[in-house]
Amino acid sequence: MNRRDFFKAGAVVSSIALAPQTLLAQETKASNQKRLPSVLNPQMDGDVKVFELFVDIYGQELVPGFTLHTLAFNNQVPGPEIRVNQGDKVRVIFKNKTELNHTIHWHGLHVPWRMDGVPYVNQMPVMQGQQFVYEFVAEPYGTHFYHCHWGTLLHMQSGMYGSLIVENPDDPVQKQFPYEREYTLLYSAHDVNFIRNELNSMLERMKERTYLMKNGRFNKERFAVFDSKEELVKAVKNGYQPPYVVNRRAPAELPEPNWFTVNGKSYPSTPNLYIRENENIRVRLINGGTEEHYLHLHGHDFWQVCDDGLPLPQPWQMNALRLSPGKTLDIIIEGKNRGIWTFHDHDIRKVTNNGLYPGGNLLALVYEDMPAEEADPGMMAKKMGLTSFPIVALDE
Amino acid sequence: MNIKYKLLSFALLALAPGLLKAQVAPEIQLGARGVMSFNVGRTLQETTSAVNDFSDTGILLGFRQKMYNRFRGQLVIGMQFPDADSDLGQVFFHQTFLKIEDKSNILKMGRSRVRSALIEFPTLRDDDALYFTDVLNPFSSGENTEDNQYGNVFEAAHIFGQRTWLRIHGEHFTETPKPPATTETDFSLNAAGFSLQYRVPETQIWNRPFLQQLGVGFNNFLTNRSGYGSQWDQALKNLSLSTILNLKRDPVHFWDFRAQGIYNFGFKEVDQIDDFTSMTRTRSLSAFASLRYIYRKLERPSWQAAMSFGYKTFPDLLTTSNQVKSVANVFYRLGENFDIGAQVQYAQNKGELKNLLGKHEIRFQFALIYAIDRRWNNQFDDRESLLNLEHGYIR
Repeated sequence: MNRRDFFKAGAVVSSIALAPQTLLAQETKASNQKRLPSVLNPQMDGDVKVFELFVDIYGQELVPGFTLHTLAFNNQVPGPEIRVNQGDKVRVIFKNKTELNHTIHWHGLHVPWRMDGVPYVNQMPVMQGQQFVYEFVAEPYGTHFYHCHWGTLLHMQSGMYGSLIVENPDDPVQKQFPYEREYTLLYSAHDVNFIRNELNSMLERMKERTYLMKNGRFNKERFAVFDSKEELVKAVKNGYQPPYVVNRRAPAELPEPNWFTVNGKSYPSTPNLYIRENENIRVRLINGGTEEHYLHLHGHDFWQVCDDGLPLPQPWQMNALRLSPGKTLDIIIEGKNRGIWTFHDHDIRKVTNNGLYPGGNLLALVYEDMPAEEADPGMMAKKMGLTSFPIVALDE
Repeated sequence: MNIKYKLLSFALLALAPGLLKAQVAPEIQLGARGVMSFNVGRTLQETTSAVNDFSDTGILLGFRQKMYNRFRGQLVIGMQFPDADSDLGQVFFHQTFLKIEDKSNILKMGRSRVRSALIEFPTLRDDDALYFTDVLNPFSSGENTEDNQYGNVFEAAHIFGQRTWLRIHGEHFTETPKPPATTETDFSLNAAGFSLQYRVPETQIWNRPFLQQLGVGFNNFLTNRSGYGSQWDQALKNLSLSTILNLKRDPVHFWDFRAQGIYNFGFKEVDQIDDFTSMTRTRSLSAFASLRYIYRKLERPSWQAAMSFGYKTFPDLLTTSNQVKSVANVFYRLGENFDIGAQVQYAQNKGELKNLLGKHEIRFQFALIYAIDRRWNNQFDDRESLLNLEHGYIR
């Protein structure tokens, strides 16, 4: 066997190894549940729903064979889903198990300003070993999310985001498009080299700063934290070098994401959307990353029903939508065209893993009541030794 | 065509298709260091000066990528401007090696820094106190300090836990050609040894304890000692001990102390020093120690001052002989990676060493130093990153 044949054989073996997990198999459907955000159960304290979140450094496997260090709520990327009813009193006890600083911002919720999670504006950062208790009333209803607001460029793409769903018993979407199943999909984009280098760099800096803070030696210039803009201006006039100048610490480039995830996974580990004929499913789309995504569903139109959690006066029918950073969009998919359909980012650069297509934001809408014979791989696939359809292909 | 070249051609042909089709872009590492100093030296006989001494200036180019399994592979090529009085030419390729490594194992082959020293000291140039800080090469004529620092190396290392390093190494140290030969033709193994070191990774600088490093090394030079048949008796043996202590691990006012001792078992029949070779082959005991202070402003070093002192004695010589060395320096950081510095060295030689090295010398140096270390196409983490050390190693 020459070198080329060896690698061809290797590729086929890889496909076969993945192939038995057909999208219609029971075990695939069961494992799909793990690819959706787990719902965090609250403890009740009187009429207050109490949730506990912690953040720690966690090794997240984006796809088989590729793992990176992340900042993860409750050792999950994305963090667990917080699901409450409109008007619920909510308490979130947040513990910081890392050596870095963090806060939580409740994106889209009308919380008291001291609960908004912006460091040095609403609160002091939650430092190493500390905890902070957030309390608010869940308003308004709809699809929202939470994320860290400290070192946001790094911390969000490192995994610190999670869905927060505020339910309304009189949800107009439910009335217009009755549905029983819904899915939450959180999109993100990651420059894994930036994440790795910056996390290491921040960990080193924070060790040093923690040492000094413990000794009561906080220094405004060293920590780059000033009481006012005037104080900063004065310091610069006196020769202070802020971190953003090129002769101190500023990196030469902005991050360029090279991995794209849905619920913390890239294709082929992304979740699937299961549907039955004539069923409506609701899909809550959240962009917790820095990139725009142009999501296109094959073989169907769908209805956009909410924008930033707010119901649209008139649902829009479309088959591609733009999901911008910080946006949440809800769509209804009607089960009207049996089959297995691709639902993917039409900015194809984001359907890649480390630059290699296919990967990233690629997932499938699967009719689970599709007859098995329709998923037969066909004669050519069988000749190649493949046993199912669709086949997990990792290369062109 | 001779059989060796036929085999080489075949190997190149076999590899070429793979090389041409390679899709994996390696990490590219660039290290560069410029050391420019104005020197004034004074001995009993004369005062000398150098308008610009740029020895130790060099460049390192590295390429690194992941293997199919858990290993990483690396190629490093480097060149350096040697001392002006060396016979190494204008440029010396001091590093040319391949390395493969995983979390706990390292295999290195090629020309590289030999394990003649367990730790480094805060001097302007690596060889400023070479006679005290390094096990000296008994095959060298002493003309080139690089003979003691670089050689053809085969080294295997295993790391126990994260901090205990066991290294086993074999080397070919440069043998100064004997007339009438003009170039070295024998590259066989002429040294072997091992070292065991406890060392705290540099990334853990602010949570490291008092003890930063503790090491022991054993070097054997495989000589043709006349009158002795066994390899053990022919071997020139050196034992090294070292330590680095963080006296004050304060991020603003940092103090450390480092010391290394080298005991050269020597050959008992060498009881006088005629040249560099005999100096390396007679019994000796050397000690070198440094005290360093670093002031760090805005989380970067701002200035550093160090005092070092060395003493070396040769007990088997017929005449009482010893060496003393002291080095004091201060460096001020003008900008990221760019320093200005001043150093004064004093060396005193007694007994038989006076003839070889002169009675004493004092040298003043004023220097500019620029050192960079950049990486492009960075794809994976280092063994000693904080993430890998403290949050699970990702291979």
